[in-house]
Amino acid sequence: MPIISLSNTYLKRLCGIDKEAILSVLPKIGSDIERIEEEHIDTEFFPDRPDLYSTEGVARAIRGYLGIETGEEIYTTTDSGITFTLDENIKSIRPYFGTAVIRDLNFDNDAILSLMGLQEALHWVLGRGRKKVSIGVHNLDVITPPFFYHAVSPDTSFVPLEMEKELTMREILELHPKGRDYAHIVSHLDLFPIITDAHDQVLSFPPIINGELTKVTADTKNLLLDVTGTDERAVTLSLNILCASLMSAGGRCERVRVDDVLLPNLNPSVRSVSVDECNALLGLSLTPDEMITILEKMRFGAELDPTQVDHVLVRVPCYRADIMHDWDVFEDVGIGYGYENIPSSLPSVATIGAEHPIMSALSRVRMACTGLGYIEVMPFTLTNTKLLFDAMRRPPHPGVLSILHPIREEQSVFRTDILPSLLDLLRMNKHRELPQRLFCVGDVVIHEQTLQKLALVSTHPGADFSESYAVATSLCHELGIEHIVQKGSDPAYIEGRLADIIHTKTQAVIGQFGEIHPDVLREFDIDQPVAAFEVMVSQVLYPFPERL
Amino acid sequence: MVYELSLNEKRLLVVLAELSDDADADEKGAEPILLGEKLNSSFEAVIQYANLLESKELCTVERIVSTYIMRTAEGEQYTIDGLPERQLYESFDVHIPMNELNRHPLAKIGIGWMRRLGWITIQDGIVTKSAAPISDLEQALIHINDTNDLDPKISKELLKRGLIQENEHVSYLIRITPDGQSLAEQGLDLREELGTLTSEQIISGSWRDQPLRRYDVTKQPKRIFPGKIHPYQQLIDEMRHILLAMGFTELHGDVIQSAFWNFDALFQPQDHPAREMQDTFHLAGSRSLPDRWEQVRDIHEHGGETSSTGWGNRWDPEVSKGIVLRTHTTCLSMQAIAQHPSPPHKAFCIGRVYRREAIDPTHTPEFEQLEGIVMDGGVTFGHLMGYLREFYTRMGFEAVRFRPAYFPYTEPSVEPEVYVEGLGWVELGGAGVFREEVTAPWGVSCPVLAWGLGVSRVAMLRMGLRDLRELYQSDIDWVKSYPLISTGGM
Repeated sequence: MPIISLSNTYLKRLCGIDKEAILSVLPKIGSDIERIEEEHIDTEFFPDRPDLYSTEGVARAIRGYLGIETGEEIYTTTDSGITFTLDENIKSIRPYFGTAVIRDLNFDNDAILSLMGLQEALHWVLGRGRKKVSIGVHNLDVITPPFFYHAVSPDTSFVPLEMEKELTMREILELHPKGRDYAHIVSHLDLFPIITDAHDQVLSFPPIINGELTKVTADTKNLLLDVTGTDERAVTLSLNILCASLMSAGGRCERVRVDDVLLPNLNPSVRSVSVDECNALLGLSLTPDEMITILEKMRFGAELDPTQVDHVLVRVPCYRADIMHDWDVFEDVGIGYGYENIPSSLPSVATIGAEHPIMSALSRVRMACTGLGYIEVMPFTLTNTKLLFDAMRRPPHPGVLSILHPIREEQSVFRTDILPSLLDLLRMNKHRELPQRLFCVGDVVIHEQTLQKLALVSTHPGADFSESYAVATSLCHELGIEHIVQKGSDPAYIEGRLADIIHTKTQAVIGQFGEIHPDVLREFDIDQPVAAFEVMVSQVLYPFPERL
Repeated sequence: MVYELSLNEKRLLVVLAELSDDADADEKGAEPILLGEKLNSSFEAVIQYANLLESKELCTVERIVSTYIMRTAEGEQYTIDGLPERQLYESFDVHIPMNELNRHPLAKIGIGWMRRLGWITIQDGIVTKSAAPISDLEQALIHINDTNDLDPKISKELLKRGLIQENEHVSYLIRITPDGQSLAEQGLDLREELGTLTSEQIISGSWRDQPLRRYDVTKQPKRIFPGKIHPYQQLIDEMRHILLAMGFTELHGDVIQSAFWNFDALFQPQDHPAREMQDTFHLAGSRSLPDRWEQVRDIHEHGGETSSTGWGNRWDPEVSKGIVLRTHTTCLSMQAIAQHPSPPHKAFCIGRVYRREAIDPTHTPEFEQLEGIVMDGGVTFGHLMGYLREFYTRMGFEAVRFRPAYFPYTEPSVEPEVYVEGLGWVELGGAGVFREEVTAPWGVSCPVLAWGLGVSRVAMLRMGLRDLRELYQSDIDWVKSYPLISTGGM
């Protein structure tokens, strides 16, 4: 989530209340306050509310929540007479487009910072790093309509923002800091997106950089907005949020003609929602009028639906990204009512609790192991083939699961056995007192199937085959594992000092026990003999788990 | 004053009392070797008994440390063969070219010393002998055993050359105290004491004839520890028992999940950042889609038959077939709902989940998550908060409060916070009512309350850990000594 910096003086001016009152209301509308400074409050809002990513948007919500100004903000737009033409050649590259003219701004430094912060946050959250949406803000007074959005050769040149000389678009991707940051979005294209005016002056190279020509300063009075992208919904929302914010900052919005459509469309969308359904979801018993009051506090337009009993007609402001479903409206009713005011109680749902059979079996395994004096450990399940196979002198398991993009080589496969992790823990605890007896029971993955294994290790100067045999026999008895013991050949153990455990029912080898091979011990930097036992628990204590 | 003395202590005391009759010996104190001969015990045993008596103020033990000088092995060898400079001096006649002398194995040490002692002169690469009287070092080394007061300058030089070493000699003098004297005079029972009781002694009753050795309760035994379930697993089991007692059924499932169950069924849009390679462990391979996948597609694309608008983008079944290491256990809850679409249903799961995070003290790529769902007609958001309050109270958190939150698959959403002494309000998990977009494809018509909780966060609070890795790469001493019933913490 982006951190939004709210100017204290600006917020105070927009809300008309003091800092303390602002701080007390912020958490209730879903903000996580990160830092409180003399000049500004740094705060986070959830990614479903990008309309709160500007000081103006937060002020709008606070004023509503505190009842200073409730109901919807009306966004009246007039026609600018300006047209924007989209060339066919852009429609396969970055097809979605939004624009608006904002006039009569009286920018101060706080308002400019808020606009820049909003632009950045939208680029990140809705734009996913400018890929889906990017925004340009231009000084309208230095350019001449009509405007064109089209695709041109990368050799086209102009003076980009913060530069003094002309660069080709290709050079911008190499030389300009923003060009380098976002080159990956366009570098594969044959033609690059560009916005130009009637005199072929370059406004912007979306989604990379604006031209120096249209740079916005505190003296700028009239703006042209461009929003380009690959996701229609995100483009429209970004445009609406920007317009709403700039109108809250004192601007007047004018529509621009784009291919026979007038943009922006700041009209609310309308939903008729059921009061009963809302009450049933939240556990409240609001009357329609109470619900309307709360919705207005949350800056919706709301009135009784004349066509349906117990329904409220909700006008959802154009900047609300998150209202996809009636329940999204009801959540706002809950927040407006105050989560702390919703009575919390336990319903009478008649159910009988039951342990999962696997978890119940594993609990018994733990009981048996601790009874033998072993201490449980819970190592990571992600490991690497070096530890899992090479250090164990074992050939790689054909069923081992590899992670496609591991962060580190050390954690690049899912374990097929637990014993190597136990030896690794003995290594980490080398300086601790002996004897050390450890066990772990948990998931392994073999051929994409999640199974459970149990492993035990015992290390001390007298640890030997007999000890492992005794432990294995005892555990098999306690866990009801009918088995026979046969000479084994697992290279992780000393030849002649290990055995395989054969499951009587399936005749499958389900485990091994014995003395760990000294070469393996040296790989794990262990100085004392280790008696070990590992056995498959799945299918032995319970059927193979169903795939869930 | 009653003294608890072992037989050995008593025997030592008696011998000390006898010796002290000789006034001269009393003044001087008794040497352990002499006492050992009388008691037929080793030197070390005598010291041990004496220390025990001293702790009861029945005798005193004086520890005397003296140092002495002796030759090292190298020093011994040179005493026989001569010092390197002497050997080198003897190795040639009057003149020798420098480069030839350099070939002698002792040249490195010897030449410098010969020059320092003035035994030779070197001119134009030729070494010429002068006189070589016995040096002070040679003198001192030969007579090292005859003298104790060596010239400090010479002893320093010999030490530096590693020819002699300083050794410590520790001796003891043991003296009886007046208390010990009077105790011995009272007479001591010197019969053999019984240590370990034998079966024969118990049956025959012969134990009555001999005193039983008494033990000193102030001496701590060697610490032993029981076999133990890991403290973290104990916490997990505590949570499981709370939920089982609250009537929840436990779930368990595969760590490998299709993107369909892990993301799509939870209404996570296919371009959601959490699905990307940076956040999720993707695996090679795929799984087929379950029945009713078309309903999930419709929900994503346009909201299906609900009041939802959906995400508005095309939904790709191929993306959904990909497999991942589960990023949450919510995918198991979803499958439980799909399998049991009719209420009532209460289920929970505590399982390991996987996120593509680099390891640091507060992040590990695998960790445990608790997940609970309640599905029944008539359950409300207020009930969800009721369940959360109940669960956290049973976990020992007394104050619980709720804040608005956002999760892609719940609406309304809430973040519970608990009050922890010293930390304040701590966010502990997330919860909400499953969106209709999540439940509708499976024909579920009643609300489903859901909540999740990072179990390792509770573990850190409960056990006072500062590093999550302690849970997975545990110090065995910590596991051994962490008590089953902890009085500290929450």
